[in-house]
Amino acid sequence: MSTSTAPVVAAALRPGGWGFGVGILLSLAGVAVLGAAIAALLVLGVGVWGNNIPFVWGFDLIAYAWWIGIANAASLFAAVLVLRRHNLRTAVNRFAEAVALAAVLAAALYPILHLGRPWLFYWTIPYPATTGLWPQFGSPLVWDFWGIMAHVVVTSLFWFIGLIPDLATLRDRAATQGRRRLARAYGLAALGWRGSVVHWHRHQAAYRLVAALVLPLLLSAQTVVALEFAATLVPAWHEARLPVHLVVTGLPAGLGVVLAMAAVLRRALSLERIIDAVDMDLLARLLACAALASGAAYVHELVNGLLIADGAPREAFLARISGAGALSYWGAVVLGALLPQVLWRRDLRMKDWVVIPVGMLAAAGVWLDRWSLLVGGLLRDHLPVHAVPYVPTPAEWALLGGSAALFALVLLLFGRVIPVVAMFEIRHEETEAQALEEQR
Amino acid sequence: MSAPSPYGAIAEFGDADRMVAAIRHARAAGWSRMEAHAPHPVPEAAVALGAHAAPVGWIALASGLAGAAIAFGTQWYLSVHDYPLNVGGRPPQAWPVFLPAAYIVGVLWAAAAALLGMLWLNGLPRLHHPVFFARSIHRASQDRYFLHLLAEDPLFEPQAALVFLHSLSPLRASLVRAA
Repeated sequence: MSTSTAPVVAAALRPGGWGFGVGILLSLAGVAVLGAAIAALLVLGVGVWGNNIPFVWGFDLIAYAWWIGIANAASLFAAVLVLRRHNLRTAVNRFAEAVALAAVLAAALYPILHLGRPWLFYWTIPYPATTGLWPQFGSPLVWDFWGIMAHVVVTSLFWFIGLIPDLATLRDRAATQGRRRLARAYGLAALGWRGSVVHWHRHQAAYRLVAALVLPLLLSAQTVVALEFAATLVPAWHEARLPVHLVVTGLPAGLGVVLAMAAVLRRALSLERIIDAVDMDLLARLLACAALASGAAYVHELVNGLLIADGAPREAFLARISGAGALSYWGAVVLGALLPQVLWRRDLRMKDWVVIPVGMLAAAGVWLDRWSLLVGGLLRDHLPVHAVPYVPTPAEWALLGGSAALFALVLLLFGRVIPVVAMFEIRHEETEAQALEEQR
Repeated sequence: MSAPSPYGAIAEFGDADRMVAAIRHARAAGWSRMEAHAPHPVPEAAVALGAHAAPVGWIALASGLAGAAIAFGTQWYLSVHDYPLNVGGRPPQAWPVFLPAAYIVGVLWAAAAALLGMLWLNGLPRLHHPVFFARSIHRASQDRYFLHLLAEDPLFEPQAALVFLHSLSPLRASLVRAA
């Protein structure tokens, strides 16, 4: 057994400690809350939510756009690591892929649940119905069906392709320990991988190819969400810049979550040697970069919103930044764009007590941005009907908290049964490092 | 009683360079049917074995284009011929609105084809393979490297193959039974 990957295998094969048990119990309780919130929605209808005209979308689409942003940035990070693998620890990509997958699963809940009659969600699929009708292919809502479905499938494929050889390692380790049933389970999932050099060659080609295919999908996923807003006539939403805004401002959320989770994981599973200081440094600088780009998007939004000649969008934007929506708008700017700038200082970005809160607050900032767009964007509509402000109900809070618990549960289970970092990458890097040393 | 004919002869090495050198020796000695096993990608070994990864890319490209064409064609046929809807006098053949779904479905097909094509070219999934009979082959997923001369090679003769493998100074060499 290579000594360097031993802690990774051990983390997957040893019995979980009390901390893991508590984590699983807490997230299971959260998932139970999620189940209750969904049951209430299905039985009682969307009336259990606080949205009403003009606030037709509330927590549902805020959380959807937010989770997609997290999934996107995590996938982007993982794909970039796979594609440019020179002098760079690529093992963390596995864990970023798992974050992306868990986030996309949480995101996929919302577009179905918010339909009003969620059990008829299959009406967005073009199938030969007895009515003879087809979905309206010109609608961004139908594009979104393809977008979210492709996102779920391709993210899972990306994660699984990289996982096949590591599942084979776990199969062989479990068999050596005499745990035959576990070995059989891992063996089935490893699809009979036998480490053939020719297989490796094609595997690497497929892995890089899917990593490259993730990139165009990231653009389309957030873009299609943004087009759902931009295609309406709501003054604050009917903007050509909206797709770019959602793609760019979404990045700090995912990078922040990956950074905070990496800091927690390397402590909890004692993987400091594998998720090392270089990885943390890179992640922290990427988050700072993404926040800088996000800041540029806000500057453009401000200039664009204040200089626009048309009165209706200008008033709507003013209401977002100065009226009742000011807190969420400026909260998003501070948490999502300004706060991560502290990570440019090396002494600060190497400390767990800095990166964990900064990462999570960046994610919170992006959530505030989505709130500002969805709720703040409707403060000034074309009609002067604004009797009832939007206030989320307990059912919506339960749904948001429940989806976070689902995200945590999926990640905890991943961390438990499969390697959290790519073992074959670590072995590869080791042999390359040795070869370099021998050359010197 | 004669021993059943083996599946091949396998040699175990402690590092990738020795395995690559062994592959090159075997190729130079005229062996043509062989497999190598390693715990991580070894590009030089793949080159020495004459492996090509390009078919994976071609399969993905062809599937992606087919997926995009089918998605675009379906939307076009259903919106223009099967059930044209007059929405404010807009033309039913508004091709730009068919592009997002065609693009997304194309990417989806290409990614799925990359995985399935890779598995198909590799002959996976399969439940068992004779190489798993080899001693310590489980370390091919951890820290050892293997060169496997297959019995289907015209040069193959069990004792001669073993002698040849031993000449490459492996950690150990042995025959692999076929069943």
